[in-house]
Amino acid sequence: MRGFMRNAFAMIELEMRRLKHDRTELYSRAVQPILWIAVFGPIMGSVRAIPTGGIPYTDYITPGALIQSTTFVSIFYGLTIVWERESGILKKLLVAPASRYSIVIGRAMASGVRAIFQALIIIPVALLMGVRFTPSVLNFILALLVIFVSSGGFAATSILVASFMKTRERFMGIGQALTMPLFFASNALYPVAMMPEIMQWIAHFNPMSYVVDAVRSLMITGNLANLPIDLAAIFIFDAVMFVVASINFRRIIE
Amino acid sequence: MKTVGLTKIYGGRIKALDGVDLNVESGKVFALLGPNGAGKTTLMRILTTQIKPTSGEAYVFGLSVVREGAKVREMVSYVPQEMSVWTDISGYENLLIYAKIYGIPPSRRNKLIWEALENMGLSEFANNLVKTYSGGMIRRLECACALLTRPKILFLDEPTIGLDPSARKAVWERLSIFRKENGATIFFNTHYMDEADLYADEIAIINRGRIVALGTPESLKHSLGGEIISLEVEDSAFGSKVLEAIKGLDVVSDIIMGGNEVNIVSRDAEHSLPEIMDILRLNGVSVRRVSITKPTLDDVFLKYAGVRLEPVAAGRISEVRHVRSMIRRG
Repeated sequence: MRGFMRNAFAMIELEMRRLKHDRTELYSRAVQPILWIAVFGPIMGSVRAIPTGGIPYTDYITPGALIQSTTFVSIFYGLTIVWERESGILKKLLVAPASRYSIVIGRAMASGVRAIFQALIIIPVALLMGVRFTPSVLNFILALLVIFVSSGGFAATSILVASFMKTRERFMGIGQALTMPLFFASNALYPVAMMPEIMQWIAHFNPMSYVVDAVRSLMITGNLANLPIDLAAIFIFDAVMFVVASINFRRIIE
Repeated sequence: MKTVGLTKIYGGRIKALDGVDLNVESGKVFALLGPNGAGKTTLMRILTTQIKPTSGEAYVFGLSVVREGAKVREMVSYVPQEMSVWTDISGYENLLIYAKIYGIPPSRRNKLIWEALENMGLSEFANNLVKTYSGGMIRRLECACALLTRPKILFLDEPTIGLDPSARKAVWERLSIFRKENGATIFFNTHYMDEADLYADEIAIINRGRIVALGTPESLKHSLGGEIISLEVEDSAFGSKVLEAIKGLDVVSDIIMGGNEVNIVSRDAEHSLPEIMDILRLNGVSVRRVSITKPTLDDVFLKYAGVRLEPVAAGRISEVRHVRSMIRRG
């Protein structure tokens, strides 16, 4: 267990040191969510076509845009793993006295760290746009924790995909094919109830829906009635992905 | 380190290793020499517990690499053929992350990292991003990572691939110092003949998944039958009596005559030459020219593997390109 924590923290430290040297990806990945919040939100909001439960539309989609951004960062985290496979880094890590679980979960949580920094860039922009967050430090910290933990699950999914799609091109293809459906088949931009029936069904199995709902209730509405279900769903998603990705990890270097 | 009947079949068809039996004494520098695709990397990956053999056994310090992988991993260090450091952080940070993964206690961490950097001559570049390093420096940093934990056995897969001669020399000088100080075993793969010849205590030649020859560089060369003394003589005086006298020498195994040229095969050309010259002089044979040809590992390879190693120059360019493109991607 000590070894596990040690390795996981080493992986997180690696990510922090990378960010220290080069933050361009954080900024370039912030462009899209800022467009959602600064352009799409106000325009769609002026139509008043979507029932948001009494909150302004821009406020409604801010958690969605935020989670879309942090999820995409995590979904493409596997690219790092593909690169490390092409170079010899993964081979060397697998010869080190570190368990697969500690490598996979450590890397996944490292992606969670990246996601938090991503969120911290977007949130001030939302504040500037007049989005009203719930005035609670505890809720804010909990929301960041939800982002951190859920990003880990998505990054583990990405590592799992990387174990099967061993080249960058194939990985990029799958990554692109995953991200937009995840986003549109979720409650990020509109309530699930407005979707066609099949989409609603998909949205219920879409982990992103639960993450958006949790962050929306913590940061915007303050209505925490659904929070336990959301957290349970995120927890199950993480646990399953951590285990499946770890079991398949050795496949990546074969 | 020991393997018994090690076999690896990929995808049910491709036989990468075909019954490899090897025995490497501890403290030795052991080279596995062979062309690309001979099975060198596969063997090393089995020994470092990355992949499992299809059949056969392998042991490192008496521990089975299949059943006791975790224990083996604590004793070995491994430098893969491909670049294996993070290029977007500094050299020092690479070592720091590895030190943490290997659980080196914080009290000793800094000292060991700086020692490893110093060992590999990288102290002044420690805080530069690895992206800015040359190919030789990256290789030395990888060796530094491997030496950090003071391993009992060091596995190096093509340690100097894509490096220019002076960078290759630098890498090996540093490795030799480490080995002298720590008494570690070094097991390396190479397809550079001169590298095996210069730095290995023992060489195994591998071709198509089989070990075809094994021994010290000297014994392998001797196994070709010996060195050749070529003489150009005045033909008139070289009679059967002289021939018999030279054949009578212990170390001489064969004489081939062709016109004015006499080729004498000897186990030890340098020592037998004066004796041969004495015999010739006593019999009034005058010699116009003498030369000695010693077999090279190239010849050894040709004999045992049946093919020549691919031309080094052509191989290098593609390797450099490969290494470069890996760095760019970082």
